Amino acid sequence: MNAHAPGSLDSCSEGWIPDEVARLLARVTRPGRYTGGEFNLRLKPGASPRIVLSYPDVYEIGISNPGLQILYAHLNDATPAAAERAYCPWPDMAALMRAHAVPLWTLETMKPVAGCDLWGFTLPHELTFTNVLEMLDLAGVPFHAAERGEGHPIVLGGGPAVANPWPLAPFFDAFFIGEVEHRLDEIVKALAAPSRALRLQALLSVPGMWLPGVSERPAQRQVFMAFSSTAPVLRPVVPVLEAVHDRAIVEVMRGCTSGCRFCQAGMWYRPVRERPVDLAVEAAEQLLSETGCDEVSLLSLSSCDYSGVEEALTRIRALRPGVRVSLPSLRIDSAAESLERFAADQRGSVTLAPEAGTQELRDAINKGVDDAQFEEAVRATFAGGFTGLKLYFMIGLPGETDADVAGIARMAGTAARLAKDVARGRARLSVAVSSYVPKAHTPFQFESFAGASVLRHRQRLLREAMPRHVRISFHDVAASLVEATLARGGPGSDRLVEEAWRRGARFDGWSEHFRFALWEDAATATGIELGTADLRSDQTLPWESAVAAGVTRSFLSEERARGARGELTDDCRDGLCASCGVCGAGVEMDVLP
Amino acid sequence: MTWWLLTFSRAAAASYLSHLDTARAMQRTFARAGVPIALSQGMRPKPRLSLPLPLPVGASGCEELAVVEVPDDLPDPAAALRELRAAAPPGLRPLAIIVVGDQHPRPRVLEARYACVLEGDAGAVRAAVERYATEVSVVRERVSPKGRRTLDLKEYVVHAAAEPVPGGTRLSFAIRPRDDGAARPQEFIDLIAGWAEVEPVMRRLERRRVTWRDLPPGPSPGAGRSMSS
Repeated sequence: MNAHAPGSLDSCSEGWIPDEVARLLARVTRPGRYTGGEFNLRLKPGASPRIVLSYPDVYEIGISNPGLQILYAHLNDATPAAAERAYCPWPDMAALMRAHAVPLWTLETMKPVAGCDLWGFTLPHELTFTNVLEMLDLAGVPFHAAERGEGHPIVLGGGPAVANPWPLAPFFDAFFIGEVEHRLDEIVKALAAPSRALRLQALLSVPGMWLPGVSERPAQRQVFMAFSSTAPVLRPVVPVLEAVHDRAIVEVMRGCTSGCRFCQAGMWYRPVRERPVDLAVEAAEQLLSETGCDEVSLLSLSSCDYSGVEEALTRIRALRPGVRVSLPSLRIDSAAESLERFAADQRGSVTLAPEAGTQELRDAINKGVDDAQFEEAVRATFAGGFTGLKLYFMIGLPGETDADVAGIARMAGTAARLAKDVARGRARLSVAVSSYVPKAHTPFQFESFAGASVLRHRQRLLREAMPRHVRISFHDVAASLVEATLARGGPGSDRLVEEAWRRGARFDGWSEHFRFALWEDAATATGIELGTADLRSDQTLPWESAVAAGVTRSFLSEERARGARGELTDDCRDGLCASCGVCGAGVEMDVLP
Repeated sequence: MTWWLLTFSRAAAASYLSHLDTARAMQRTFARAGVPIALSQGMRPKPRLSLPLPLPVGASGCEELAVVEVPDDLPDPAAALRELRAAAPPGLRPLAIIVVGDQHPRPRVLEARYACVLEGDAGAVRAAVERYATEVSVVRERVSPKGRRTLDLKEYVVHAAAEPVPGGTRLSFAIRPRDDGAARPQEFIDLIAGWAEVEPVMRRLERRRVTWRDLPPGPSPGAGRSMSS
């Protein structure tokens, strides 16, 4: 029996959370959301400028966002700035903060967010917009940029939802459009200016920056062309609470040129850039040590398309015993082969996304998957011993008919039959159906939102036609209606967001918190009709006046026309350039030889 | 098979972790340190690490205990302790490793001493503590998903005391578990706060000392069988 040098016992009375915060923590669910204390947390006392990074959702969601991890690591490790974090307090905490007049604090220093120099938000989607206002209010920062003065932080927005910044424009001092890694140093330098006005002026000169009411031209979306030669985040913050994802993430590829016509990310993150396999494997090795995870996820919009996937998979598996490699998405046209390769690493269930129920509609959205490929993928799933299969579809796509919806039920029937024949009833089958929302900078940006009555009718059709024993879930039509309104909202749509927040809208992406009546009342009060977008293809679209996304209007229009004709457009990785407009002026595809 | 009794402190941000999250953070610390934990048998093996005395959410612990099974080709405990300290998150600090054989009885709690700060009049809190001392029986009902249960706090809670401190009153007490369970710190704090008519919001809850039965003697902090500070 041996014991090993304990040294002196640490005092428990050191490092107490400030009393005013501790009083609140004692009365909320999951208080660990608000205290930090994670692995790899950075503290830079006295560093300047002080930047706060936020994701407008609850901690467990926000901590899993890879984008925020990139910013946090780069700012803290490669610039003089100190980056801290704040996520959106859950309603129980928000109520206590207001009751006790305790302003929003950061996880790193427990100091008020409002005292920082720059407050950056990663904006993931429209249903988080009211949470931005909630956080500004809880921090005591004036809602409107015009009301802020010396002593208030500069509020900066970024992330995929700034593809159309108008619904949030008055609440932000500036938006950064695109990928920011290579512009962070310039942003930090701009914050050194001696006054708020001069700092904003300096930010205006950073490429990709759009200042509402100030910028005279749309901001050019920035592309991080050093992606391939730069290591991914090697020392991410690892939560000590259970989060939505618990795995080491290696971003192996950025961009996707499959060209699905509904997909905003596919248009937004062009062109494709791949990291060398050596870099990915070295990163995986370090991440396994830094995170303590036993699973590595090869992250991208379509990891099966990563040129080095096979080699990376083999080498990462060999790094140490028990390491598993997962891919966040599988392509149906190559799923059977992928499932065979990854079977040993995948846990539980597989998700396949045919998106639409008939060949005609799949061709119209440029999702060139045929019935035989689908059947082969499903068969491979069940033959591989997976315990569940989830099929993901959308309804409300442009040109969709009731027959297309019936096709979804037919495909589910095929899968159910294979579950019985191949898996002998041992596998679960579920179908998730969301409502399509047209987004800015996509070929379908001119299309109408299907509308609540059509979507509800098709949900009913589908529920009736769906084989028994297949679990089906639908996205809330009312939430899609709000999302559709904001996704293509123009100047003035911010009034809807603010009015909904004032009436109590929060956490709209959470079904248990989404209250449609608040949005209906807000729409009535502001005179904004939900679900509509007053767009004409012969006019400048609202987001085009703020954002130059790279993909040209002519390309998007041509793609829309091809979709209407049911014509497929090839992936430019296969050699045929579709002239989307992204490449040129130092921006080009960068894939492995 | 070899077992380690790892003592550690939990403070600051880590105080707000749940029991399961604390165990998960400890497992992750071992993984980051490259110190292997033996796995359970079965289809889904789990690391054999347990925390025998859960610490309430919001409480710090001066010397907590983790029981860890390690493979036979275990690393040098002194080196492992250094690695664990380097790999732990802020607020969790491994203190010492006591190596025991697999035949050694698992330690059982004899007494745990707590302290917290209650906001409000020190005199009222002291009066409530004095009243508790004179009561023969203080029965309380506990409602949980498992149902309702009554328990007499006097059978579990001893050594209650109150003293004024800046910003409130420090309430200290000890809980002695029995075979049928134990009182929870919050139950006693709520009782005293209720009698004193002060807000039952506790701050700075600490588990300051745990006395164990069957803890091997050795040069752990507070040598002997008591893991005291």
